Amino acid sequence: MSPTSLTLYAYQVGFGDCFLLRFNYPGEVRRHVLIDFGSMGMPKGVAQGQRLLAIAEDIKAKCAGKLDAVVATHRHADHISGFATNRAGTASGDVIRTLAPELVLQPWTEQLELAEDASAPEQPGLRGARSMAQTLKSMNALASAVVTLLDQGRHGLSEDLASRLGFIGEDNISNASAVKNLASMGKRNAFAFFGSADALAELLPGVRTHILGPPTVEQSASIRKQRSRDPAEFWHLHRQLLDAQVNSPNDDPGPFADYPATRGSKLPMSTRWIARRVREARGEQLLQIVTALDKQMNNTSLILLFEVAGKKLLFPGDAQIENWSYALSHPEIRELLADVDLYKVGHHGSLNATPKSLWGGFRKRGKAGTAQRLTSVLSTMPGKHGNPGAGTEVPRRPLLEALGKESELHSTDGLEPGVLYEELEFSF
Amino acid sequence: MVVKANSQTFTILAQDPAVRNAHGELLFARVSVPLETLGLGPTGYRLKVVDFDASRNQLYHAHAYQQDAASGCMIDPFDPPGEALLGNPAFHCQHVYAVVMRTLARFEMALGRRVGWGFDGHQLHVVPHAFVEANAFYSRADRALMFGYFKGLDGQHVFTCLSHDIVAHEATHAILDGLRGGFMNASGPDQAAFHEGFADVVALLSVFSLREIIEFALTNGGRIELTVQGDRRLLNGDQLSQQNLAESLLFGIGEEFGQQLEGLRANALRRSVMLPPSADYLRDEQFAEAHNRGEIFAAAMLRSMLALWVARLGELGNFGDNLYNLREVVEEGAKAADQLLTIAIRALDYCPPLDLEFGDYLAALLTVDAQVAPDDSRYDYRLIIRTTFEAFGIVPPAARTDADGCWHGFADNGQVQYRNSHFDSMLRDDEEVFRFLWENRAVLGIDERAYTEVVSVRPSIRLGTDGLLLRESVCEYIMKANIFGAELKSVCNISPRPAWIKTTDALTVYGAGTLIFDQYGRIKYHVQRPLNDGQWQLRRLSYLAGLDSSELDLRNPLAQLHRQRAWQVGPLREEQA
Ligand SMILES: [Zn+2]
Repeated sequence: MSPTSLTLYAYQVGFGDCFLLRFNYPGEVRRHVLIDFGSMGMPKGVAQGQRLLAIAEDIKAKCAGKLDAVVATHRHADHISGFATNRAGTASGDVIRTLAPELVLQPWTEQLELAEDASAPEQPGLRGARSMAQTLKSMNALASAVVTLLDQGRHGLSEDLASRLGFIGEDNISNASAVKNLASMGKRNAFAFFGSADALAELLPGVRTHILGPPTVEQSASIRKQRSRDPAEFWHLHRQLLDAQVNSPNDDPGPFADYPATRGSKLPMSTRWIARRVREARGEQLLQIVTALDKQMNNTSLILLFEVAGKKLLFPGDAQIENWSYALSHPEIRELLADVDLYKVGHHGSLNATPKSLWGGFRKRGKAGTAQRLTSVLSTMPGKHGNPGAGTEVPRRPLLEALGKESELHSTDGLEPGVLYEELEFSF
Repeated sequence: MVVKANSQTFTILAQDPAVRNAHGELLFARVSVPLETLGLGPTGYRLKVVDFDASRNQLYHAHAYQQDAASGCMIDPFDPPGEALLGNPAFHCQHVYAVVMRTLARFEMALGRRVGWGFDGHQLHVVPHAFVEANAFYSRADRALMFGYFKGLDGQHVFTCLSHDIVAHEATHAILDGLRGGFMNASGPDQAAFHEGFADVVALLSVFSLREIIEFALTNGGRIELTVQGDRRLLNGDQLSQQNLAESLLFGIGEEFGQQLEGLRANALRRSVMLPPSADYLRDEQFAEAHNRGEIFAAAMLRSMLALWVARLGELGNFGDNLYNLREVVEEGAKAADQLLTIAIRALDYCPPLDLEFGDYLAALLTVDAQVAPDDSRYDYRLIIRTTFEAFGIVPPAARTDADGCWHGFADNGQVQYRNSHFDSMLRDDEEVFRFLWENRAVLGIDERAYTEVVSVRPSIRLGTDGLLLRESVCEYIMKANIFGAELKSVCNISPRPAWIKTTDALTVYGAGTLIFDQYGRIKYHVQRPLNDGQWQLRRLSYLAGLDSSELDLRNPLAQLHRQRAWQVGPLREEQA
């Protein structure tokens, strides 16, 4: 049995991802896969909680109360916040939970017992997984320390810097409720990495799902171009440094316990200019660190390539170049990717998530009117990420422009705020 | 009449708090810096130390320095030094003040002139405990050196401002920025790497010119038994091979240090010299990032220093049984470090104003040394340096240098119009130099369509080893052109136009040159980056297009670079499509 078509629902979640895939089989048989469900900010006038709930109910109706699989590409809030539950059992995550998915598919970095139980056995092919899980925990903690720090006051940071810091910080905070729900809502949990077995095979007859990322620690190391220290150490130390700044400003005597000092609000004239600069520089340091953190988190994204009757649909989550590198280092994978028909644009359209060698390799790119033209689907909301004012002296063609010119681009950003989703149909 | 000194001395930590002798004592040094009456901070005519901590939001009180009536010198409150100084922020302030001033003075001595900063203003801010962070950096935008501190994994505070290496390294970034502002621009892979590698080289060579440190390293802090003959302490000659010197000098000091400063790049700074020579690094993608690539340059320079030291030791007599006088060995090491540092600094004058490549710097180094010391026969300095660099794949650009690797002299003096130029003004006046450039634009290859600016005119007076004064004037100019992709051929001589640049793309391209005038006001060297050097222009554009734009827009790029270097968690660069 093979599906004859796919209906794709790209939900309007503002800055976030939420895609429902319906594989249509002969005889009214349908299989439903939900890929990500999260948001970090809705369009103006849309209340986040209500919208997430409405989407959850819509998903429930579309799949007639039964999801075959849920895929959570990585743990960023803008990809999983919709899975969060509440005590009353009335949140969007509670609704999804009643859809009793047969399988919850996540990247290998999400095996919770690894982080909780330091003595969990190393699994074959996943050496370093435990350290990675603990690193992600440190990273979540660091992000939450940054957010707490900002909650305590702006610390002399400019509004722009504080809001960028806050946004990245929030997105990287552990969403305990969503994580727990994902861990327990399915009949089965599977954790995948580059080349791991097709966990969806039984659920989606006639569909072959290639797992192209994330690579394991060993896989990444095999193509690494730089010597690198254990990132666990880096995040552990920085988490400690930040925790110490957030939690004990009063009883920590600091480096010079009894040495006389003047409070920052009473600085002598000669030091005020530079003091302001130092505060801002401190904020920039934090921003550089959380940006690196954000990127590392993106790079734990699952990259899924569905293959049905010769058609290919690519869902790379937010994978950036470091995640992609391993897959792209294999000529046969590049060949496999060359005739992709549908591309879910990585990381809400950011330049770093669509490697040139990936985009350049898509053969079905072409001008409007081209037969069998590539379709791209983008879920984003402008003004949330990155620094649009940033320009350089060398042409840096916005990815969006290329997407619009060389593919059939569907962006949730183009939907009216009241519209819940865009529906796309692919026949096989 | 009392003759007043023109310098004063201050106590500093010779290396860092991890370096202790066999009795567990810290190693201090007394260094002299230019005489001046210090304000609170200390604040002097070049530096303003401000001990503000943004993480704790407080300002530590500064020591009020007193003047000694007899000598006019400021009184060093921390002499004699002791363990307690590690916990005294005012000592930290004195330490950074003295190390930065000493580094600056070292540049001014080598160049024979005052050196300004790379920003408008005369005083560089130095913030010794800026925030809790395992990082330190120079920020042009903030006119400051900022040093972080943090609690190490053992619960002890680690102060980056107490490491001589790190302070001298950051000071060098600031000074280099004052000498060649163009080197901070994003350009080819070598340029940012050079900033980093050069800062390492100056930091290490200035530490090695402290005799206390060399002796400490050679005797492992007094832990190595020496043979004593009369008042001479003798060292076994086996220790004096290049490899053994490298190990004792760098790892003898570096070992404890690295553990203490977990998460800092201090180890990286020293690691470079252990990089075995290979011509492959420059092509290796692993060394494409500035934070790795700089180590290739640093390794070539530091290996040169060791080779020079070994060459000098070859001329020392021994005391039987392959024993050498420790004092003489130390002296020769300090001299080798000092001489190499001098020419390393002078070479900057002979570099192009922007888009530096390692080979250009090597040519500049060889040229400047040949100028002040034409006779190279005693220690073969230039040959040693050239051979060492070549082992790392760094060679002078063949088309622009002579058989000795020195820049070709300027050959077109016959066509240059000198008649309207006033030599005296040419030595210091931007307008006069620009007029000269403009009138001679054809022969100098200055594109009339670009906007050309003279960015510096600097007199330079050097004492050669032969005791003769060498007087020169160094002028830099930069050409800037805003063009469209379609003009790449006509302006930059890039043909064919690469597919990723459209005819309608707006882009900015640069040309530049350094002119060295001799004491008669005639051009001696013209170190050029022509606007129409197609190969070079294309190399630059391709490199920049491959960079992540978020990296290009950083306000404090060195902060990012230093963190990446310490942890090697830098991004992979994507191959050019
Ligand atoms: Zn540096």
